[in-house]
Parts: sequence; structure tokens; C-alpha cells
Amino acid sequence: MLTTITVKGMMAAMKKTNPSFLNGVPELLVLRLLARREMYGYQIVEEIRAQTGEALSFGEGCIYPYLHYLEAEKQVSSRRQEVEGRNRNYYKLTARGRKRLDELTTEWKRVTTGVALLMEEEHA
Amino acid sequence: MRDFIETLRRRLVELGCPTSQVRRLVREVADHREDLKHAALADGLPEVGAETRADVQLGDPLALAEQLMVTLRRSSWWGRHSVIGFGVVPLLAFPVLWLLLLILELAAGFALGYGWDPKKLPAAGNPVGIHHLGMAALCAHYIAIALVTLLFCWLARRSAVSLKWMVTACTICSVYALFVQASIKPHSFAVGVSWTPHWIEAAIPLLIASAIYFFQRRTRQRFREKVVV
Repeated sequence: MLTTITVKGMMAAMKKTNPSFLNGVPELLVLRLLARREMYGYQIVEEIRAQTGEALSFGEGCIYPYLHYLEAEKQVSSRRQEVEGRNRNYYKLTARGRKRLDELTTEWKRVTTGVALLMEEEHA
Repeated sequence: MRDFIETLRRRLVELGCPTSQVRRLVREVADHREDLKHAALADGLPEVGAETRADVQLGDPLALAEQLMVTLRRSSWWGRHSVIGFGVVPLLAFPVLWLLLLILELAAGFALGYGWDPKKLPAAGNPVGIHHLGMAALCAHYIAIALVTLLFCWLARRSAVSLKWMVTACTICSVYALFVQASIKPHSFAVGVSWTPHWIEAAIPLLIASAIYFFQRRTRQRFREKVVV
């Protein structure tokens, strides 16, 4: 479950140096999904599960405080909308969220490149 | 459906989650449960089976409430660093904030009442004027203590930390209020620390903490009784 990682991910927002390996991953995943289109909580949980081959998953229901945190940080905005007779809170990325996504993507690529280099060296 | 959501809502209220957050979290979890149920129905499960699967996927509502509260607390700096935020920051911030507010209040008072005209300020030889000015300074002193205390109470409430942290911050404010003083006398405006305890000032933060505690308790009782999702 990604719940514990979520907590660390939020902590990472405060840290400026030496982020641990998985810090910021939930944030990256959620922002990445919302960069494509606006989504509601259930959709986000399902998309993460499906698109990571069920390797990663949010605890059902635990995504909401996290989304509220991102909203408080003005990285996402939300609106209540009725679709097919059902009301849902839709979340979408803001300009600040997009900037944060770029930062996290750069950081993630840097980390994965470093890990890949190390793994290749071990195999060689 | 109602049982799961009701249990979740009651537990969130018991854990001290702000009521606005409770409404929103419960509404979104209820939506989420509906989505899980619809997915189960789409998989061919009957109504009861779909509801059961949705409940199983969401897990124990009490545990979910605890998880939601942990995440909620950790989503703010004050919630993550409660010891620093409500044990250390008030120690450092109270004197600064109190003095700043006191100066602002007095400045606003003089600006409104006297228009910064020194000729209109009561002369040192006018005991009535000096008395009024002294009373104004004392009121500003009380208000500054109350505002600093309210600030920490608001932060505690907003970050959904446990009551002990609000009480800790209020106690620190109370201890400071016991010794800080502001007074106006002829030819002098004194701000500082006095070893003579000021019990009325010290009571202000504690009264505020008590009032907030009883207000929260009443709100929770009312909110708990509602059966609206």
C-alpha cells in the first residue's frame, strides 16, 4: 500500500536536500495523472493501480486528505460536478502544480538514471 | 452504506477532525464507496455482494478514520511538527507577537482618537487623561494576549492536532501573560517583564482554551447527532 509512502511524500515537500528514494512519488503520480485530465478520487486510485500494473496503490479513501493537501498547496483545484446523476469532486492541475510536476519529474529522472547506472555496473 | 459512513463520520468527529473537513471527507469517501459498489455491480455481483465488496475494499471504518486523521495532520506543518509548533514556537513567538500587536493597537487607537496630534494627547499634568490612556493601554494589553492565544488555538484547530497541543500553547501564553506588562504613566510608556504576577492577564489564555474546548464539545455533540451524509 502507498499510504505510508504518501506520508513521506508530503514530508518531502518540506525538505530541500537529500530526499529519500521514494519521497515525492505519490505526489508525482497524482500530479502526472491530473496533468492529463481532471479526475475524481476513485479514478485516480484506479488509474494508479492499473497503470503501475498494480505494483502501487493508494489505500482506498486515503487519497482524499492527500488531495486536500495538494489543494491547500494550490497545486490542484477542485470543483463539484454532477455527472450522470452523481455528484463528484473533480480535481485538476494548476500552474503551480504543473511547475511542481516538472521539478518532481526532473528529480525522478535523475534518481532513476543513477540507480540504472549502478545496476548496469553490477551486471557488467 | 449508512452504517459504514456513519461510523466513519462519528469516529472522525471523536478524533477532533474539523467539522468542515468531516463533511468533505465523508462526502468523498461515500462517493468513493458508491464507485466501488458500481464497479462490483459491473463485475456481475448482486447488490448485497457489491456493497460487501465495497466495504471490504474500504476496510474498517474506524481504521480508515484513523488513517484519514493521520494524513490530515501530516498535511500541514503544524500537524507534522506539533512539539515545535505548539511547544517551542509559542515560547519564541509570544513576546514578539504580543509586542507587535500592542504597538499596532495603540497606534490604531492614537490614530483614531487623537490623529497623531501631540497637542491633543493628554498632558502629564492631566490625571483624568492619563488614567484614560492607561486604561486604553491595559485594554490593548489584554487584547494582544487574547489575539496571540487565539492564533495558536486557530492553528491547532486547523491542523487537527489533539487538544493537548492547544492546551500546551495556551499554558505557555498564560505563563507569559502572568509576567509581561504594559503601562502608561506620566512621561513614560513601559513595556516589559514584571515579577509581580498578573493573574487577570494569565487567566485570559486559559479562559479562551476552556471556551474553545466547550464550544468544540458542543459542536461535536450536535454534529454527532446529525444523520446527514
